[in-house]
Amino acid sequence: MIGFRLLKAVSDSVSSAEGAAADSQDEEVVTSDSADDFPADSQDEKVVVTSDSANDFPADSEDEKVVATIDSANDSPDSKTLVVVAKLQAAISPLSPFVSSMKTYAGCNSKAIWLSTATAIFLFVAVRVYVGMTQKSKHNRPGTVADLVRRGQLRSDRRGMYAQGISSLKYEDPFNNPYVKLGKSNSTVEMCGKVYKLSPVTLTKEEQATHQRRRSRAYQWKRPTMFLKEGDSIPPDVDPESVRWIPANHPFATTSSDIDESLAQTNVYQKHGVPFRIQAEHEALQRKLEGLQQDQKLNKFFIDSDNAKAYERSLKLHPKSNEAMDQNPSANQDGNSSPSSSNSSSSSFNSTAPSDELQKP
Amino acid sequence: MLSLKPLPLSHNPSFLHSLTPFTPPPFPRTQTLKPSKHASPPSAIQSALQWNRKPELAGETPRVVVITSGKGGVGKTTTTANIGISLARLGFSVVAVDCDVGLRNLDLLLGLENRVNYTLVEVLNGDCRLDQALVRDKRWSNFELLCISKPRSKLPLGFGGKALVWLVDSLKQRPEGCPQFILIDCPAGIDAGFITAITPANEAVLVTTPDITSLRDADRVTGLLECDGIRDIKMIVNRVRTDMIKGEDMMSVLDVQEMLGLALLGAIPEDSEVIRSTNRGYPLVLNKPPTLAGLAFEQAAWRLVEQDSMQAVLVEEEPKRRGLFSFFGG
Repeated sequence: MIGFRLLKAVSDSVSSAEGAAADSQDEEVVTSDSADDFPADSQDEKVVVTSDSANDFPADSEDEKVVATIDSANDSPDSKTLVVVAKLQAAISPLSPFVSSMKTYAGCNSKAIWLSTATAIFLFVAVRVYVGMTQKSKHNRPGTVADLVRRGQLRSDRRGMYAQGISSLKYEDPFNNPYVKLGKSNSTVEMCGKVYKLSPVTLTKEEQATHQRRRSRAYQWKRPTMFLKEGDSIPPDVDPESVRWIPANHPFATTSSDIDESLAQTNVYQKHGVPFRIQAEHEALQRKLEGLQQDQKLNKFFIDSDNAKAYERSLKLHPKSNEAMDQNPSANQDGNSSPSSSNSSSSSFNSTAPSDELQKP
Repeated sequence: MLSLKPLPLSHNPSFLHSLTPFTPPPFPRTQTLKPSKHASPPSAIQSALQWNRKPELAGETPRVVVITSGKGGVGKTTTTANIGISLARLGFSVVAVDCDVGLRNLDLLLGLENRVNYTLVEVLNGDCRLDQALVRDKRWSNFELLCISKPRSKLPLGFGGKALVWLVDSLKQRPEGCPQFILIDCPAGIDAGFITAITPANEAVLVTTPDITSLRDADRVTGLLECDGIRDIKMIVNRVRTDMIKGEDMMSVLDVQEMLGLALLGAIPEDSEVIRSTNRGYPLVLNKPPTLAGLAFEQAAWRLVEQDSMQAVLVEEEPKRRGLFSFFGG
């Protein structure tokens, strides 16, 4: 492409060049520039080149024409000039078929070339415009922070660094750390493969106080001192605003409050020893066992003193009844759960240790 | 432009203690950004990177901090777990209290779910002592967990808040010493659970995300905290997506601060490692190498100890591309 343009420029400088007509097959090139340099007589000498895209111009015939033209002018005073020009033309003339063929070729494909050039330029411009539009459309895309500004949730004039611009941060190194080097013009830090920029906190004490005042006006809240389940009645001397209602299925709701507050406090403060409930259960169990043992002892003693004689008499008087009682020892043993029932104890005593009683004096 | 590469942090808590007097090493391993302190320490300490020294505890002990948000699912429990473990790793004694009655999950994040046998309800009932209900973490012996109740048990009405006050008071008087931090994981909402959780607190950490629903709830909760007398309220903005902020699809951290008007304790970037750490029962701050979110939690814990706040935030910038196609406007 570049080479063709060079050749074309050369051919244009030798012969007069018209606008490259793509459709034209034949061209008549007239050396307008060369006509100015030549004397008046040389105007008779015209190199007529007939270009045909289909045919290569035969070089020999071209030379013959030029030579014939030169020979006719040898005798004039400007013959040397003419000779030089002719020689120049002779040097260039071999290229002219090539140039003409290229012109033909160019003529046919110039449309394509111009088309491709125009397409490239168009694509370049289109991409630039698209990129520009894309960057601008970020502000108009739904779901960005701009929507929050639009809804009034965020004030655009008081936004952080993006409202102020990232271009220049006028602050000194906030960390006063010599190991972290921040350029004065480019305060960026590279960390874990990502590039970060420092943005200073802009919240002032006055703004903090303003927010506190706003919240104190907006949120009036009193700490609840009483928690009631749904359905409970409010005691008469209690401020209704200090009552917090708890749903029945809430983890804080209980059907009954078995734990005494003072007892609970004591349990929390306990540092040593057995915990209260464990101790209480242990003591209760201990008491129960002792009670059972006491009852057994009492039962044993009670049977010895009261029923020994009766047993002896019954043995002597009713031997058959003793046999009946011996046949039912299990029933008597099962009925021995209550130490207060002397009858059962006496029967069990009779069933279990008759021999001992008989042996006692 | 200096390139910062986070390196694994030391897990040995005695490492920091061994640095007394506070002289920084000549070449720091980890380079993190931290705002300077209000006080004026010696120039050597001031110029050192913050992780090279133990943070100086400010305020009266125990520091009772309630971590609340209003809206559920913003990261209260994750924040409690990670900040608690960070404080323990810095050498402070910490007791974390899960005040979510009925929906207990702080033990899951810490990996201690199989060791919770007694809760505060059992202590109140007298089934066990308070020290028997505290679960000590085997990884960091100065970190303890206390759950309020088991899912099926109920806390008696009326003295839920008082119970926490007794709890704090009892922890102050215990023989092994008063804990330096008591972190209370507050349940979502503003009902009885919230009221109970904020009762013993002196200061609050408000966890929010950069979306309008969370911010509205956070504003309401802040108002209630201030009505209840809690004035020291700082904010942690969680789940920050720097790419969405860059594309103007998400509010920036400074926008959030502009809306709420609270001092900034930390800005935690969105990190998928949070889910993995929950699955493992291993808090994010213990990861090796640390993630950006873990580092952010560490820095937030540091500021909490020193009662400091962020002075600047990091905003992601797109690196400048210099190439053949840069003239297309990319």
